[in-house]
Amino acid sequence: MTKLSKRFIELPPAKVETINLRATYGKVQALKGINIKFPENQVTAVMGPSGCGKSTLIRCLNRIHELTPGAKVEGQVILDGLNIYDPKVDPVVIRKRIGMVFQKPNPFPTMSIYDNAVAGLKLNGLRDKKKLDELAEKSLRMAFLWDEVKGDLKKPGTALSGGQQQRLCIARALAVEPEIILMDEPCSALDPIATAKVEESIFQLKKEFTVIIVTHNLQQAARISDYTAFMYLGKLEEFGETTTVFEKPQSELTEKYITGKFG
Amino acid sequence: MQRLLDSGLEELTVMVYRMGGLAEKALSLSINGFIEGKDFSQDVHELSENLVNKSVEVEEKCFGLIAKYQPVASDLRIINSYMKVAYDFERYGRYGWDISFIGTRFNGKNEKCDKWIFDYIRKLAAKVLEMVRVSIDSLRKLNPELVKTMTEQENSVDKAYFEFLDKLVAQAGVTNDCTISSLLVVRYLERIADHAMHIMEAVVYIATGEKITLR
Repeated sequence: MTKLSKRFIELPPAKVETINLRATYGKVQALKGINIKFPENQVTAVMGPSGCGKSTLIRCLNRIHELTPGAKVEGQVILDGLNIYDPKVDPVVIRKRIGMVFQKPNPFPTMSIYDNAVAGLKLNGLRDKKKLDELAEKSLRMAFLWDEVKGDLKKPGTALSGGQQQRLCIARALAVEPEIILMDEPCSALDPIATAKVEESIFQLKKEFTVIIVTHNLQQAARISDYTAFMYLGKLEEFGETTTVFEKPQSELTEKYITGKFG
Repeated sequence: MQRLLDSGLEELTVMVYRMGGLAEKALSLSINGFIEGKDFSQDVHELSENLVNKSVEVEEKCFGLIAKYQPVASDLRIINSYMKVAYDFERYGRYGWDISFIGTRFNGKNEKCDKWIFDYIRKLAAKVLEMVRVSIDSLRKLNPELVKTMTEQENSVDKAYFEFLDKLVAQAGVTNDCTISSLLVVRYLERIADHAMHIMEAVVYIATGEKITLR
């Protein structure tokens, strides 16, 4: 049973929630009935040992898990009252509402910084140059990259440093104005300076977005998140305010994991 | 699995336990010295200075462990609590020195004192020393259960303290050496009991994660 911190009842309204969410890769069950509410305009960190299902969980939230051959999802994901797995729901629309940033910076290699930032908008049919310029600047500013690239927008995205490339990917995700940003270990390939910049941008993003971040870096989870979920063997072991989880975890497993006494 | 942090925590624990032993010794010497009219002020002074230095060492060790390992959960609670407990032990030493200083200042056992005053101090001192021992023992055993007995003890120390004040005020027509020295000693004993309760609060926090105020 999932352990909840004492102040769980004071949780802000949920933006997205899962109900008995189960996910499989062929015969392997990666998620075994997850029930979790991700609070709106907050950063929630999802942590746990490798293979615990944390990446699968966030991939189910914007319906990209099902794109993997043999992968299957059961249960519900409720986004603002709508079950995104309802057969009538178009997954493309969901992916517009829930953006994603991956572990490795992946700017489109043939595109300029500007084109990378507005790639999603163009894909959705936006052609108005003024509007594109506006949204490119807005998203690059939100990703804390604008000041560093405003004079070089025509340079290839791949010419940027690793940290800048990752912030460009964040800008690209933000440009289509999603409601939720999912991040799968966004800083694992970055140096401490680049990590600090990405963390700063994540911290600011919650003013406008709900952020869910998968991380192996416990200190990062402690620094940037408001809520923390700890997963183990496909189950949600604990969920609560980050301060409580890191000061006084309710579950012995969480305690062992975060203090490095695991295994 | 032995973690890098574990050896640091073990060293820290040894440092804090040693402080507990020194603090208990400083208080026993000073309180018994005062009651029996013996001068241990030099020994207690050395113990107190030693405790001040060790408290600084504990604080530096704690900051080092935080900076190096970013401890969380029970590790963080231990480090946070040991910093506070080291300060409480330092205060034990300081109050011990204060009491032995009073004894020396007023030339040992104060002959001007009525018998009831020393009886009172003896009784109060026994309770307070017991609280000190329990606080140190509970820290070693990390036993928050001992809090229950300590709360009763602390209430009775507070009660005895105020009773003493009332009696002293009612009886002492003229302020004399005895009034001042006994008043100071009783006051220090009451403060020592409070620090014993601080240590118990730390034990509860380490063991259960609950932050409680016992005073």
